[in-house]
Order: sequence, then C-alpha cells, then structure tokens
Amino acid sequence: MSENPFKIIRSTDQPPESLRKEVVSSVKFLMLIMRFVQLFVADFSQVLFDKVRKTDNGSAPSSKPSNPTSPHEP
Amino acid sequence: MFKSRAKKDQSLTDEELVSLLQKEMDAERFAVLYDRYSSKVFQKCVGMTRDRDMAKDLTHDIFLKVFLNLSKFDHRSKFGTWVYSITYNYCLDTLRKGQRHREEDIDERTQEGIPMDDASEAHLLGMRAERLDHVLTEIDATDRAILLMKYEDELSVVDMQGALGIGESAVKMRLLRARDRAIAKYHHLYPEGS
Repeated sequence: MSENPFKIIRSTDQPPESLRKEVVSSVKFLMLIMRFVQLFVADFSQVLFDKVRKTDNGSAPSSKPSNPTSPHEP
Repeated sequence: MFKSRAKKDQSLTDEELVSLLQKEMDAERFAVLYDRYSSKVFQKCVGMTRDRDMAKDLTHDIFLKVFLNLSKFDHRSKFGTWVYSITYNYCLDTLRKGQRHREEDIDERTQEGIPMDDASEAHLLGMRAERLDHVLTEIDATDRAILLMKYEDELSVVDMQGALGIGESAVKMRLLRARDRAIAKYHHLYPEGS
C-alpha cells in the first residue's frame, strides 16, 4: 500500500520569526484597550449610581422615616 | 524573576496555562501557547491558502481570535483541538470571501442521497504526490481546505462536524463534491493519466 500523498506534500514551513513579536504586541495592545474600556465602564457606572442616589435623596426626602431604627415612634 | 516564571509557565500543560489566562490576562504567558501551536497553525494556513504571506496574516489573526475567546474555552475538548477548529473556520471564512460560493451547487445533489464513494477516494489517494500537489493548487480553496482536513489531518466526519459547525450530511456532501472536482481537475491537467 503506497503512502498517503497528502502526508507527503504536507507543508513543513515555519512561521517567520517576526510573527511572534507581532502577535505578542497585538495581544498587549488588545489588553490595553480592554483595560481602558473596563476602567471607563466601571467609572461610568459608579458615576451613574451616585447620580441616581442623589436624585433619589433629593426628590423624596420626606417619604421615608427620618430614623429607620425606631419604626414604632408615635 | 521573570525568567523563572517563564520557565514555570513552559512546564505547565495547555489547560493549566489557559486556566491561569482565564483568571488574569498575560501576553507573555499567552506567548507560551503561541510557541506551542504557531508552527502547526501556520502550516495549516499555508496548506489551505498556498500563500505564505496570506498564511502569516491568517496566523496572526487566528491567535488574536484565540486570545479574545479564551474565556469561552470550556475545557471540555483539548485546547489544541479548539485552536485547530478556530484555524479551519477562520481560513474557510476568509477563503470563501475571496471566491464565488458554491453552496447552491452542493444543494442540487442533496436529494439524491450521499454515497460514500470509495472509488473516488481511492483515486484521490492513488495520485502521485506532485500531481496531487498541482491539483490542490488548481482547485477552489474551500475544496482544498476540506480535503486537507479529511486526508492530511485525518479528521473524522464527526470531528469535521464539530470543527465546521455543520451537520453530518453537509460534511459528507462537501467532501464528495470536493473529491469530484479534484478528480475532474486531475483529468483536465493530466489527460494521459486518466
């Protein structure tokens, strides 16, 4: 039985040396972008949360008891 | 300190490295995986595209894709299998964009059933290596890719289903059509060998 010709013609080329550097640089760049986005999104949601809290406090100050620890006060 | 960590990373298995990368991204740690798989990924890309420059670009993009999707790797298959399935899919998608798609052509014969067609397989595997190489250069890139998956990498139909995300009959049909077209090209290039 003869050898599978697909195996004979299989490529044995090696990737260029420079490719490793390019891939690592691209990965570092991606990580930087991801961290930047993460930071921006985290800050953005924090700011939004603060605003919602402030609006809530300002709009309905009298609807809640002033001292929640003593609900049975006459 | 960095050297000792790099040495330690090299002694880890693929799955251990991926677990660490899933917890914390690290380009140098990812480079260890690149070192392990870049040759094979590049060779698959060269085989499918027959173009070293294109294969270099594809290899670069495939590794970025692997990095970006690391969090989705669920450790159910081997990491290598997962990388190769990304390689096949990315090469096929890129090659399809560069040529007229033949899906309609494939659908025409699905009604007739899908014979395994051992004769065409024997014909293909009986070709002289240099002639097969010539035939593979001349046929469509998508046909070439599917033939390489089957006969060079020896993937089973089930593995090909998983890698390509298509059904069993679609895999068999694509293989059958690719074989038919390769043999027709062979007869066209080497009429005396018919």
